Amino acid sequence: MDNQVEAYLSLDDPPKSDHLWRYTSWQRAHPTGDSGSIPSDVSIPNLKLRDINGEDVEGVTLDFGQKLPIPFDGSPTSDAFMKAITHGKAILMTIPDNWNSDVPLVLEITTGKGIEAAHIHIKTGRHSEVTILTRIEGDCAWLGLLRTAETGVGSTLHDVVVNKIRHGSLLRVDSFKAGRDSTITAGTVSAGSKQTKADIRYMLDSTGANLKVLGSLLAAERMHLDHHIEIRHVAPNTYSRLNWHTACSGRSTSVGTGMLKIDKGAKLADAGQLFHNLLLSEKAKANSIPELEVEENDVVGCGHGTANGPVDESQRFYLMARGLSEKESEDALVAAFLNSTLSQMGSELVHAWLIKTVEDALDGLKQS
Amino acid sequence: MTMEEARGAVGDYSVGWHDPEHSTIRFDSGLSEEVVRKISEIKNEPAWMTEIRVKAYHHFTKRDMPGFGDRAALEGIKFDEVCYYLRSSDATEKDWDDVPDDIRNTFDRLGIPEAEQKWLSGVTAQYESEAVYHSIREDLEAQGVLFLDMDSGLKQYPDIVKKYFCSVIPYQDNKFSALNTAVWSGGSFIYVPKGVKVEMPVQAYFRINAKNMGQFERTLIIADEGSSIHYVEGCTAPTYSTDSLHSAVVELVALDGAHIRYSTIQNWSANVYNLVTKRGIAHRDASIEWIDGNIGSKLTMKYPSVILKGEGAHAEVISIAYAGKGQHQDAGAKVHHLASNTTSKILSKSISKDGGRGSYRGMVTVASKAENCKLNVVCDALILDDQSQTDTYPTMEVANASARCEHEASVSKVSDDQVFYLMSRGHSEEEALAMIVNGFFEPFTRELPMEYAVELNKLMALEMEGSIG
Repeated sequence: MDNQVEAYLSLDDPPKSDHLWRYTSWQRAHPTGDSGSIPSDVSIPNLKLRDINGEDVEGVTLDFGQKLPIPFDGSPTSDAFMKAITHGKAILMTIPDNWNSDVPLVLEITTGKGIEAAHIHIKTGRHSEVTILTRIEGDCAWLGLLRTAETGVGSTLHDVVVNKIRHGSLLRVDSFKAGRDSTITAGTVSAGSKQTKADIRYMLDSTGANLKVLGSLLAAERMHLDHHIEIRHVAPNTYSRLNWHTACSGRSTSVGTGMLKIDKGAKLADAGQLFHNLLLSEKAKANSIPELEVEENDVVGCGHGTANGPVDESQRFYLMARGLSEKESEDALVAAFLNSTLSQMGSELVHAWLIKTVEDALDGLKQS
Repeated sequence: MTMEEARGAVGDYSVGWHDPEHSTIRFDSGLSEEVVRKISEIKNEPAWMTEIRVKAYHHFTKRDMPGFGDRAALEGIKFDEVCYYLRSSDATEKDWDDVPDDIRNTFDRLGIPEAEQKWLSGVTAQYESEAVYHSIREDLEAQGVLFLDMDSGLKQYPDIVKKYFCSVIPYQDNKFSALNTAVWSGGSFIYVPKGVKVEMPVQAYFRINAKNMGQFERTLIIADEGSSIHYVEGCTAPTYSTDSLHSAVVELVALDGAHIRYSTIQNWSANVYNLVTKRGIAHRDASIEWIDGNIGSKLTMKYPSVILKGEGAHAEVISIAYAGKGQHQDAGAKVHHLASNTTSKILSKSISKDGGRGSYRGMVTVASKAENCKLNVVCDALILDDQSQTDTYPTMEVANASARCEHEASVSKVSDDQVFYLMSRGHSEEEALAMIVNGFFEPFTRELPMEYAVELNKLMALEMEGSIG
């Protein structure tokens, strides 16, 4: 038994009173439901890196089998499990110093049919600028994706994850650490998987780090989408914004839990979180818990907000008055609601690619 | 108001003195089934109440501490060192002159008789475990309004008490509701008949005097159809080096079209654990308002709740918390929308200073069959120095698409511009800060009876003393 497996098996299951596991228990997120075990037949999904035009990428490397630690502590359970199931081996994506391209990169992750897992570590060089669009597709029963990142001084990373897994479950664990004066724009577009449990964490422990987190999620049929986003301000002059939009239809459930933590010493931190849920059917549910812990008094401002509601009747009426049917009006308003965060995830090129990628999911939503 | 004026009016935790302990019955410290049965026996209670107490005691022994909040502080409660029953007077008097001298002096110093004469419909004063004084205006009594201490309520109106006791907060609700149900003593029992509107507030004042004392009052208010009442409670205790425990349960029932407003100013000394469960049920078109001020205590965990059971019901919770040195105010609100066309509003304001920690913890839910509900939650926090902390833990669970729900929270410090503006008009920096803090709490104070609002402003001015430099 390797050390990672041993470390995981020594842990107790986290209690449901734990904020992170309140709406999706660890047993439910585990690939087999038997939380005291690690499945043996785990394979690595197929990974392919191209630019958005389908061309090879020069300068950016993918190195398999690297032993890399998680940059900072997150949830002991999911961290230890992901290390165990990937046997402590990561795929390292390196963006060299000063590497800069207007052409976004597309990382295709294609799964098979069983239980699959991977650890991808992104390392951006000093003053580099890169857009990485990660598209996850396939028929897997369960995918565990550990994504870690460290951004170089003054670098810019646009990171968008699009989940289009057909039926299975996704466990996503992100630990991103922002370097001095670096900028991260992190987008999540979820239009697939029957169940998603995401534990997404950002650490702003270098001065001048800047973070924008955006979510554009479609929950349809009986989907269960649970995203926990934790942003921690440790260093002075750090900035973060979170804007999370979820449209829920059918019998779906969406959970958005946030933790915004301002450590003592994070002077002039400026942080805000917003969760918006659009409820489209009688049976859909939306839960929001945006938490805030502030230990520093000298802050620019810290706040959070959440709003849940149906489609605005006056907006629907306006569109119907201009000749759209009731259904067309609602579809247009749902698309606009999701587009308001989608459009901030990158350049116009990225936006067009995202629209094209989720178009079929929007059609699916219309039918559910 | 200058600092000197504030000090003159209030003094340093002005209610922190204690009288020599005066008891007719004092139990040894510690809790057992025997203690629970003994309390029931002394009070000559019906068998059903003894049975509930014993069941609640066994639930308490098995139930874990809450899995949230300041767990380290909670683990510090020494249940075996608490005195669970102390009777200071053999009777509940209707005339102040009949109350034992030292106890009467205490309430005189707290200004209770004076307030009663001026602006209250009725008063209950509780000292340790039992009510020592109780009165109600004759005209209200003639209209059928019942305002008694809870023990007398149980004796005189057992059927009403049996119907509603534990109906809003079952003893299985949490560890402290189980503890209260097992050892409750005192508190208020109010029944307002159909259509009766009690114009002036009724008041209860709770005082812990003895060391290591546990006060477990139980309050039950039933407002019958179309009636209304405003209940005000105040709480103080002496400053000791050892801790006391205050664990109350308050149940409100607002029947169709009734209105209950429950205002609290909690100013316990910094050695009191204040762990209170408060909940109301609002039936059709009824309204329940909690106006909740938390100034004192070592640890407060209190989340006044409303279950909106009937269509068109409304809930409102306005709370403030001041967390000073060594204090953790973990307060908030819960509203459950179970019926259609229900509305709620929560406004929470907190200030943390001198290393204090203010936490808002709240929950709002909308049930799947509750159509067209509207709710709004606003939390604002001020941190006044670099040793203090503030947290917000809101939960919003919505299972109906027609609900409109909003939550917003902000954390900030006192703006330099505001301080400069006030100083340029002749105020010292300390006075400017006190004025800004009072302004911050204004949405709360304007909901209080005037005498309470004035007292609160004085208290806050005093708490701001020494804030600068």
